Amino acid sequence: MNEKTNLQEIRRQVYLYYTEDGLADISLGLVLLGFGLLLLLDLPAFVGTLGLVPLLIWYLGKGSLVVPRVGSIQPGQAMKKRFMGFFINLCLVGIGVLILFLLGRGSGESFFSTYSLSLFGLVLALGISALGLLMNAARFYFYGALVFLAMAGGELLKSSISVFDPFLMGVISAGTIILAAGLILLIRFLGKFPVISLENER
Amino acid sequence: MTENRTPEITMDVDIDRLIHEPARLKIMAFLSILESADFTFLVSRLGLTMGNLSAHISKLQEAGYIEVEKGYKGNRPQTQLSLTEKGSQAFQAYKNQMLQFLQ
Repeated sequence: MNEKTNLQEIRRQVYLYYTEDGLADISLGLVLLGFGLLLLLDLPAFVGTLGLVPLLIWYLGKGSLVVPRVGSIQPGQAMKKRFMGFFINLCLVGIGVLILFLLGRGSGESFFSTYSLSLFGLVLALGISALGLLMNAARFYFYGALVFLAMAGGELLKSSISVFDPFLMGVISAGTIILAAGLILLIRFLGKFPVISLENER
Repeated sequence: MTENRTPEITMDVDIDRLIHEPARLKIMAFLSILESADFTFLVSRLGLTMGNLSAHISKLQEAGYIEVEKGYKGNRPQTQLSLTEKGSQAFQAYKNQMLQFLQ
């Protein structure tokens, strides 16, 4: 047994199960890329369908690529509580921001209406970073910072650039970078873990 | 005349040798965090051969520490493993004993 192995390392490996295949990164990248492209093509009505992307990738990717290689696990009580706490907090923050956003829209030139896209980016960045904290995956902090910078930067440059929409370009660029990182992780994962044949299983 | 003898250190460490074996300790540790894990997960994490892992699982199952449930997921055979109440208590006791001994 590796001398570094302890319960903390075991716990880290369990959380790694959820993120090492790059499917979460691919989902996030595709959602951002899809969001940017749909708005660029003036198809905002389809933005809601992007919610299906992570579900489809998770279901299809886990079933066909991940489980035959690294199996499947059911989280224990402590992990379930942690996941539930995370999602409840995320929902509360989301509802709170939505209320502030709606209040800001009704009050003319308020801070919330002026910087609504940056605030949206900030909330998204916090959500992505919280996911990183939950899963012990530090790269999600970088993704969070990238999304915030892309959205806030895009909003700031909006008044000075008229050739293209810098906000949408920022979102599309951030989505593309995260998608590429996810694909690299997936390729590495597929190379590292071959399919385990269960013919000899007990 | 009094005898000047070095006091004898009595080693009374009652550790569970079944769990103390490194591979089985890791199996127990993984299962203590999870509700259940399948055979493939443990093979991929422990770096053991299937035969070797099976042997360790059999020993833990015989002791009543883990529960083994065989089934199918789609076309693939799947063996789900989980810690029993007895196994959970034994692992907790092992952790306490080791911590107490190393203090």
